[in-house]
Order: sequence, then structure tokens, then C-alpha cells
Amino acid sequence: MKQKSQTASRKRRTTLTLPVDALGQAERIARAKHVNLSVVVAEALASFLQVEKAREHSAQVLRGYREAFQGFSAEEMMILDGIIPETRKR
Amino acid sequence: MIHPAWGPFLFDTSAESWLARTPLAPAQEWFRRYTELFPVHISAVTVLERTRGYALLWRSESGERRGQIESARIAYLSTLGQVWPVDTTIAVVAAEIMALAPQPPTPAKRSHKFSESRQERLTRWRCDTMIAATALVTRMPLVHNNAGDFEAIRSAVEIDPARFPGLGPLELARCGGLV
Repeated sequence: MKQKSQTASRKRRTTLTLPVDALGQAERIARAKHVNLSVVVAEALASFLQVEKAREHSAQVLRGYREAFQGFSAEEMMILDGIIPETRKR
Repeated sequence: MIHPAWGPFLFDTSAESWLARTPLAPAQEWFRRYTELFPVHISAVTVLERTRGYALLWRSESGERRGQIESARIAYLSTLGQVWPVDTTIAVVAAEIMALAPQPPTPAKRSHKFSESRQERLTRWRCDTMIAATALVTRMPLVHNNAGDFEAIRSAVEIDPARFPGLGPLELARCGGLV
């Protein structure tokens, strides 16, 4: 159990070069929330990564649909939509 | 306009393909935003209609074309988001709709080179009732591209709400009205 919680909160020290304006804003937020700068940067990064993950997933879905429906005529698309002409059944 | 964040929505068979293929930039953008926020919810009936279509096309072709159709089918099945099964509750609600409106409200599709049989039209109508029942039970608005059928189902549900306790109204959104 102890090992699990240690894994969940694993952290690594690193050095970043950040734009002065963004860093200044992050420091202001950290002071207002009474947390350290690392917490603010970690939260911002987590939010960004969540958005990126959603974008990647969306791109993957749209790519899949393109592959699923490309190269079909209008009549064939009707068949793929469940509208079946009599001649196709024979 | 219907904001993608107001989802999730259930997508009818033709709505799913319309949104995936539309050349209209605002509709493309709507679907892109939607898929960032939610899975594409569909009924298992849509999977049935769609894969039956792939199977019929595959059987009517040969050689390389068969391979292309099979690749498209695999791509479709690999892309599925949230698929709702037809469970007991959905079956009961669909049965009520079918009893209220046993016949399709619009005629079979016909053109100079395309003719849908009455039997196929009835099959498609019953598929629509199961998709509408899924939307009612899961309480999701139904995005559709088939106003004739789904408006008739909405009216049927409104005429006899006592047969649909705790459900309804059937919320509908046309593909073209999303943006």
C-alpha cells in the first residue's frame, strides 16, 4: 500500500527555461494559492496534457472514420447506412 | 446551434457517416470538438446496419475491391466509441414504439436506378425505432439525418406518454442544425 502511494506521487527534479511573463503569472498564482511554484506548473502541465490527449484521441477517431467511409459511391454509402436496394440482395 | 459540450449525444446510423464525411467546415469542426469531449455514442443496431452494408458490398464485389471493403470494415469496427446494446428496457420501449407506429411513416427510397423493397423499408423502420428507444432510455438527444422517421417517433411518444413512464420527450437534433 505504502509502495503504491509512493509510486503515485513520484516526482523528479528538473530545470526548465520558461518565458518571463508566464513564469511571473505562475508565481502570482502560487502566492495567491499558498502553494509552491512546482505545484502550479505541475497543474498547468497536467491540464495541457489532458487537452493534448483529447486532441490525439479525436484525431484518431476522425482518421478511423475516414478510412471506414472513403472510396464509396453515394449508392454504396446508402447501403452502409442501412438503405438496401432490392438488386443488391440477389 | 447545439454546442458539442451539451453532449453526449446518440448518433443515428446516417448521422454518424454524414458527420464523418461532410465537406462543410463548420460541421467538421463541430464533430472534431465533439470527439475531443465525448465518445461517439451509437446503438448496437447501427453496428448491425453498418456491418450488414459492408457484408453486402463485399459479397457483390471480387478481387482487390473486396480487400478495400474489408479494410474499411475493420477501420469502422476499430473506431467504435460507446456502443449501447439493446437490453430488456430498450427492447420494451422499442416494442411500444413499434406497436404505436407499426408502419414506416415515409415510403421506401426509390430513384431511377435504386429501389428499396417494402420489406427492407420495414426493417429500416424497425431499426430506427430501436435507435430511438436507445436515445429515450439513455436520456441522450438523438442526432439524426432522417427527420421523417424520427419526428414520427417523437410524435408517437408524445401522443401516449403513459406507455413510456419516466421517459421522453425524445430530443432530436438534425445534423444540419448542429452548427
